[in-house]
Amino acid sequence: MNSNTALQVEDISKTYAEVQAVDDLSFSVSPGEIFGLLGPNGAGKTTSIRIILDIIKPDQGEIRVLGGPMTETTKSRIGYLPEERGLYEDMTLLDTLLFLGQLKGLSRRTAQERAETYLQEVELWDARNRKIEALSRGMNQKAQFVAATMHEPELIIVDEPFSGLDPVNTRIIKDLLYRMRDRGAAIIMSTHQMHQVEEMCERILLIDRGQQVLYGPLREIRRRFASNAVEVEVRGKLDIVPGVERVTHQDGSYRLLLQEGVQPDEVLKSLVSLPDIGVERFERVEASLDEIFVSVVGREITDEETSL
Amino acid sequence: MKKIWLMAKSTYRRHIRSGTFLILTIGLPALMIIAGAIPFLSTLRGNLPRLGYVDQTEQLSPVSQVRVEGRMVNLTSYENTEAALAALEQGEIDGYLVIPSDYFQGQAPIYYGEEEPGPRVNEAMTDFMRRAMLADQPDWVTERLADPSHVTYVARRSGEEVAEGPGVFVRVATPVVLALVFALVVFTGASQMGSAVVQEKDQRSLEIMITSLSPRELVMGKVLGMTLLTMTQIAIWATGAGIAIGLGLAAAGAQALSIPWETVIWAALLGVPSYFLYTVLASGLGIIAGDRQQARQLSGLLGFVGLSPMYFMGILINNLDSPLALGLTWFPLTSPLIALFRMALSQVPTWQLGVSLAILIASLAASIWFVARIFCVAMLMYGQSLRPRQVWQALRQA
Repeated sequence: MNSNTALQVEDISKTYAEVQAVDDLSFSVSPGEIFGLLGPNGAGKTTSIRIILDIIKPDQGEIRVLGGPMTETTKSRIGYLPEERGLYEDMTLLDTLLFLGQLKGLSRRTAQERAETYLQEVELWDARNRKIEALSRGMNQKAQFVAATMHEPELIIVDEPFSGLDPVNTRIIKDLLYRMRDRGAAIIMSTHQMHQVEEMCERILLIDRGQQVLYGPLREIRRRFASNAVEVEVRGKLDIVPGVERVTHQDGSYRLLLQEGVQPDEVLKSLVSLPDIGVERFERVEASLDEIFVSVVGREITDEETSL
Repeated sequence: MKKIWLMAKSTYRRHIRSGTFLILTIGLPALMIIAGAIPFLSTLRGNLPRLGYVDQTEQLSPVSQVRVEGRMVNLTSYENTEAALAALEQGEIDGYLVIPSDYFQGQAPIYYGEEEPGPRVNEAMTDFMRRAMLADQPDWVTERLADPSHVTYVARRSGEEVAEGPGVFVRVATPVVLALVFALVVFTGASQMGSAVVQEKDQRSLEIMITSLSPRELVMGKVLGMTLLTMTQIAIWATGAGIAIGLGLAAAGAQALSIPWETVIWAALLGVPSYFLYTVLASGLGIIAGDRQQARQLSGLLGFVGLSPMYFMGILINNLDSPLALGLTWFPLTSPLIALFRMALSQVPTWQLGVSLAILIASLAASIWFVARIFCVAMLMYGQSLRPRQVWQALRQA
């Protein structure tokens, strides 16, 4: 195992009755990176997270967290934001944070200071004496985020961190995550919001039916899936282009899906040679994560799939 | 240990503010105090009674003073009922007693007053009759007849001395009352614990907790918190009961009761671990249950087992040292109840109680281990109950 690895997962498997929830999964996460964990509903992401957190035991495989096996001491160095919100509804926000902060090893005084700082940062200071049950969904989400990260853990696992947040609050949480990453924390982000993954993650793991489908740096993956299309803006109207399988027109530009084995420069030559066509822009299209997902999983990810 | 304490403190603070706890804890002793205060307040009303009498037998010796609550009160003799009635109507006296001419043939005296005679008036009239009929006897005869045969019993085996009267009652009643309080507290606590665990499972709170502390710390913290809550409840109830009993005794003019401390100490020694055991098991049943209704049903099953000594009471009373009695004394779910009932009716050897305590503590340790294992598996099964096969798998995984 690499000594500079915050999390190393090796060959873990888990079966429930006759369902293979996780099948021989391996990946690692380094300090100072935001790692995307993706997959459709029932892919095995939540099971994988629970195995990492030692909530459930794998049937096989090994996990090393922050340099060793999971212990009770290690738990204090981890922050977990589950998708389902689970703070005690009859406690006030401040009491909740003091309680959870102390459970993670903070002194009461430090927990108080951190709670004040974070609550002001996420604009919840005025709601500190409200009961959790009285908070709106977005406020609850931010409260739970603070509860998961106020002890400044070295490994942070966030499941749908932007669920229920408006753009302003999404930005607040995003900035906090960036700051934690810059501080050296390893962050695993599980979400179905592909644009957030594209914006924030350096590397991703895409799993489906418990198995690894894609794993590696996001840029490389996008490049790998980018070779079959170009986007062009032209004077004139495009119908049929040699070497192009399909032409679609959108917002004043054309997207050309290339035939297998055809290179972009060949298509450019063909375009230039076409009569009544003037090429104004020619750009290789990088596949979006949505498109990559569809091509490897065979279907689109939906908003309903919130517990990926 | 710090995490257990934090969990306990949080559990305690959350539940002590709940409406159910406040109603149950404050309401019950408030009712007890009111019940005890009513007779006490009635005795406080007014001064000692001003009484008179009319002796129609003409055979009683005149009496000018009687003893009421340790103090001497003047008594006025009237020639006839008209004179006594006139004194009553003019407010000179609160009431008068007419001793009819055929009193010695069995006719009862009649009391006339503005109100029904209270304990003080009754005490005054009794003392009057005693003094009026024993006037020719020495004073000590009159005084002694007020309490002619107060006996102290000495138990042959233990040598323990018990005074007759309230002492005997207290000796028998204490374990019975403690057993009833124990049953009430344990089954209320177990039910609360089961419901709380189901609620936390539904709210997904346990999944967050378990990433900060071990299942064993979680279970122990919750049980400790609930125990502290129950201790608070008992302390408030005991204070309320103490005030109510004190007021009741004051109203009756009785002396302070002597508490059988040995029974109380054994009740605490067996009751506390037993309470822990019940709440740990109830939390386990709560996590196994799919919803609150199922949790209540499972808690009811626990209560059924816990109250099983009641079903054998007819057999047990006839032979308190039988193997059945001994078995139920040692069975961890029934030991405090059956031990206290046996203590109420006979002497229970100390070694038997010691064995009960040891078995209880061992059972508690085993149940914490067992329930902690179950928590790991069942807490993630939202809205589902755990099947026996899954329980077995959880234990095997451990």
